[in-house]
Amino acid sequence: MKIPTKTARILTVMILGLLVGVGATAQSIHIPPHEKLVLKNGLTVLLLEKPGVPIVSFDAIVKTGAAADPEGQEGLASITAELLRKGTKTRSAQQFAADLDYIGGSFGSDAGADFTSVSAEFLTKDLGPGLDLFSDALLHPTFPQAEADKVLAQNIDGVRSAKDNPQQVLGEYYAGYLFGARSYGRAEGGDELSLKRIGRDAIVKFYDSNFAPGNTILAIAGQFNASEMRKKLEEVLGAWAAKKVPEAAIPAAASVKGKKLLLVDKPDATQTYFAIGNVGTKVNDPDRVGIEVVNTVFGGRFTSLLNEALRVESGLTYGASSQFDSHREPGTFGMYSFTKNETTVQAIDLALQVLQKLHKDGITPEQLASAKSYIKGQYPPSIETSAQLARRIVQNEFYGLDDSEVNQLEARIGAVTPEVARQIIQKHFPDENLVFVLIGKASAIAPALKKYAEKQDARPVSEPGFWPPPTGKK
Amino acid sequence: MRKIWFRSATALVLCAMGLAGTGAQAQEFPVQTKTLKNGMKVLVQSDHSIPNVALYVFYRIGSRNEHPGTTGLSHFFEHMMFNGAKKYGPGELDKVMEANGGSNNAYTTRDTTVYQDWFPRSALPLIFDIEADRIQNLNFDPQKIQSERGVVASERRLRTENNNRGLLSEQLWATAYVAHTYQWPVVGWMSDIEHWTMEDLKHHFAMGYSPSNATMVVVGDVTPEEIFQLCEKYIEPIPAHAPPPPVTTVEPEQLGERRLVVHKRAELPVLLIGYHIPQTNNPDFYALNILRTVLYQGESSRMYLRLVDKDQLALFVNSFSPSAFDPSLEQIIAQPKQGVDPAACEKAIYEELERAKTSAITDQELEKAKNIRLVEFYHQMRTISGRANTIGTYEVFFGDYNKLFDAAKNYAAVTKEDVQRVAKAYFEPNNRTVATLIPESAEKGKP
Repeated sequence: MKIPTKTARILTVMILGLLVGVGATAQSIHIPPHEKLVLKNGLTVLLLEKPGVPIVSFDAIVKTGAAADPEGQEGLASITAELLRKGTKTRSAQQFAADLDYIGGSFGSDAGADFTSVSAEFLTKDLGPGLDLFSDALLHPTFPQAEADKVLAQNIDGVRSAKDNPQQVLGEYYAGYLFGARSYGRAEGGDELSLKRIGRDAIVKFYDSNFAPGNTILAIAGQFNASEMRKKLEEVLGAWAAKKVPEAAIPAAASVKGKKLLLVDKPDATQTYFAIGNVGTKVNDPDRVGIEVVNTVFGGRFTSLLNEALRVESGLTYGASSQFDSHREPGTFGMYSFTKNETTVQAIDLALQVLQKLHKDGITPEQLASAKSYIKGQYPPSIETSAQLARRIVQNEFYGLDDSEVNQLEARIGAVTPEVARQIIQKHFPDENLVFVLIGKASAIAPALKKYAEKQDARPVSEPGFWPPPTGKK
Repeated sequence: MRKIWFRSATALVLCAMGLAGTGAQAQEFPVQTKTLKNGMKVLVQSDHSIPNVALYVFYRIGSRNEHPGTTGLSHFFEHMMFNGAKKYGPGELDKVMEANGGSNNAYTTRDTTVYQDWFPRSALPLIFDIEADRIQNLNFDPQKIQSERGVVASERRLRTENNNRGLLSEQLWATAYVAHTYQWPVVGWMSDIEHWTMEDLKHHFAMGYSPSNATMVVVGDVTPEEIFQLCEKYIEPIPAHAPPPPVTTVEPEQLGERRLVVHKRAELPVLLIGYHIPQTNNPDFYALNILRTVLYQGESSRMYLRLVDKDQLALFVNSFSPSAFDPSLEQIIAQPKQGVDPAACEKAIYEELERAKTSAITDQELEKAKNIRLVEFYHQMRTISGRANTIGTYEVFFGDYNKLFDAAKNYAAVTKEDVQRVAKAYFEPNNRTVATLIPESAEKGKP
């Protein structure tokens, strides 16, 4: 096959557009204009034309995620998502793969805590077959038993494989220990036991109850013609039958009071991996910009207080950071690092000192100014591609946010004064109440950990499940 | 690699050459070049779509240039390049860069050490000041050396000791190479990390960091003229010196299969198979990439359909090969499912390789592979950092960034017969090394 000359021409236009279209002047951070429409069946569509690269990115959110998994069947939303492409009314799983790969398309679907994500990308010239594949998976999956069996078995082994790498599973244990068996505490991808309890019936039921146009937001960004796209979408997605979906209820968790510690034993570990923190914030918390600025100083970049202390000044670790993993309801806040078995206590003590110092001394005007400049300077590459833009606008829509999240970012960052920063530290960064989760070699480190918390729990990594331990319920 | 937390450029970097694909004609993608008087070549591509810049400096030095006793020195040196020079002392480089909206990272391979800066246009002169300072006046603080040793040891524990795939990969290279310097890990053996000296670092700097041994790529909200002016001011005055001595050792032909086993506590086994293949700038690069795409890429690929879908032997199967100046390794990795004998995965992989040798791939497969390469090209080229990395990688490993624009032609020219020929030439039993990680039972580990 020859490389289609049409594509080569598109690239010429792309480069000329880049060179001529925009001058090398200072630009403020902004999201390109886009439109929102709601089809008659209730499907919300966001269209963002971004000429340049001849790619179209699709990103759909179905407003039900892993937090809605029935207790004991953790992983159901995730497995349902993974199976969308594994057999439709007109294609077998293998045919879908063949059609997708033939045009160099990509397709991904998975469930996060709050929602299920279905995304795809195609060259603009393949928009017709691309949209056909995307909508086929979203609207017409048949969940063949044989494919469900395969995917479930794969995922059970996937959990085992992840447990061989402490960094991959620390977050699962941490969320589980922080939230318990409810909503955000459950493993989004399920575990070795919960996945065994999921049958095809449950998958079909989950799909039928939640995948509906009124429960879905679709963003499309990239190089396309909006009026043609609207017409195509009416044809292809307008036929999706409307149906009522009750909003997924997610109970908000209160912060953990006091201190508790979970040690996950991995007898061959030469390094201890740890998370320390408490319940964090919601995505649309009114303080979100200030939180980001303060966390940038505290643990969100290389010169952060945590990384300076644990890595740069002491060489205890390759990296130390802190992060708010926010959802519709408050998610986790954690300080994360790892260090060799022998220096586990030293590193944890140091992390705790840095946190105490944050509360005691706050942050300096210089640190504040530096963090603001850093966030602004690093922001543009985060909305550089059509895929990034599609994700940004679809998530804004889901969380009830708008373009001012991006367009007003600089102004909002500017409004974070030292006094605001002080208040944010008091309100959002844990102080005395802390949850500790460690994965490491228990025989080497356990005795020294007693000092951190009255309440101590332990589990071997090799035992099925994360936290809380499975109850044995069938 | 210097950092893990703050940027996600890693994936891009690691798979750059494997994915490098078909493109358009050179004139459609203007890159301006200039060679400075001290020998450093500078490549610039303007793109004003975002007010940011990606600046990459590629040094042609890596663990390939090391010796037993000081393995991992290139990577350690990469870390030290952030730990203080004359104007920007220990810790200051990062502080000043971040305060001005910039961030950085770096990575080391067997062949190269690459420094990356991402920053708003407004920080342009500052970045050049920083780069010039550290290329010219790097300072080695004994205390920093000691603490950075701890950092690198922790990085090694992260990626190797506590990462089964990393551990097995290290063993594979150490077994597949008996003579050539590709045999040791980029991060170095732990005992070498603990023992190299300041003298070793100074020697490494003197050997590898001549401006003439480097290539700079700048992509983003800049003009070539302003970059060349900044280079004249900051970089050109730095004197050139001799490049690293050539690596003359040639790995002798492998005359029989080599096998190794790692016993380790683990939930699941890992299987890694290496075949010697030519260096990156060999003409077979394109046919090998097409073969790799047909066999491993996507859920319609032959290996996925066989091992993951039909026989359900493995969790995943994949193959990759790093960019390399010297003959390298094609590494096939598969994770056997619980209860599956790794030998069953091995057998299925060999049968699929045999099929690619005994009969040609189909027209449909060839066309599919070429389409996938085209899309990969756009994926790499759609960000300023992706473009900086791709342009630099072609310049360094093919000796000319223009090869990037010939890729379309070179892929189009690949025939089914070419693909069959490379399958036969490289994927034969005598040329392979097989590494298996076998889980030790939990019982056995108990006292």
